[in-house]
Amino acid sequence: MSPFILIVGAAGLLVGLSRQLNGRLSLSTSPLIASFWNHVVGFIALTLLGLAVGGLWPAGALNAPWYAYLGGPIGVVFVALSSWLVARIGAVNTALLIIGGQMVCGLAIDLLQSGRLSLWLSSLGVVLIMAGMVVAQRRPRE
Amino acid sequence: MHSTPQNHAHPLGFLIAFGTGGLLALMVQFNGALAHYGNSLFASWTAHAAGTVAALLFLLVLPRRRPSSQPRPPAPLWAYLGGLSGAATVVLSSMAVNSPAGLPGTLALGLAGQLLFGLVADGWGLFGLPKRRITFRDFAALALVLAGSLLILLAGKGAA
Repeated sequence: MSPFILIVGAAGLLVGLSRQLNGRLSLSTSPLIASFWNHVVGFIALTLLGLAVGGLWPAGALNAPWYAYLGGPIGVVFVALSSWLVARIGAVNTALLIIGGQMVCGLAIDLLQSGRLSLWLSSLGVVLIMAGMVVAQRRPRE
Repeated sequence: MHSTPQNHAHPLGFLIAFGTGGLLALMVQFNGALAHYGNSLFASWTAHAAGTVAALLFLLVLPRRRPSSQPRPPAPLWAYLGGLSGAATVVLSSMAVNSPAGLPGTLALGLAGQLLFGLVADGWGLFGLPKRRITFRDFAALALVLAGSLLILLAGKGAA
């Protein structure tokens, strides 16, 4: 057992935990307010960490193109939508669908950028993900 | 408007969730560009700063719904700690970047961790969210999505 397995598995658990906490906060406030607090608290934590270990302002950082900073605003919408979803369709469905969307759209981005993909494997992957979404959605009414 | 425990979700919710995953892919792309010029801590730090500013702007610009509906119970203090968990994720992920398991295996493991948390959280209704009964369908959907993701990750590695 490699320690990496534990680290990566724990990172995945923390993603779920974060979504669950933000979802709970959104019930008492709103998804956008929950997303705001998520970013404020995360920023404070990372600032403290950066001050402790260094590396917060690496050389050459300012050479990044302006659009690279769009990740932040997109993240706000992402966290707000996730918080809204997790309180309504549940943690499993939210995780499943976000993962599916991330994989399929990530694939499209890769295809646009490099144009080189193992098409058989990735097409089969997309089919499996879509099938998983159909299975998750077709739930017998009770 | 308040959520009630439900086992059947609206199809629209599923589409929105899928699109949310697409946003995540886009976000990863931009944050990756930031990390390329700096490092992963810098990327996440500035993304949180830009996100805080963007969230404030959104809150100012977007109209507020529900000015005076029934008062909702305040959130417990721990509900504000989602950002802390998110920041910890950044740290753990950057520790695992040089994993010998290779990128596809590593990423798939992270996805599995997320899904495992989801099963436990739904099954017990953790952290004040509705409880959902876990059925065989959940496991089937989970296996399909995880297998599909692993294939896509493996195919992507071949291209890189």
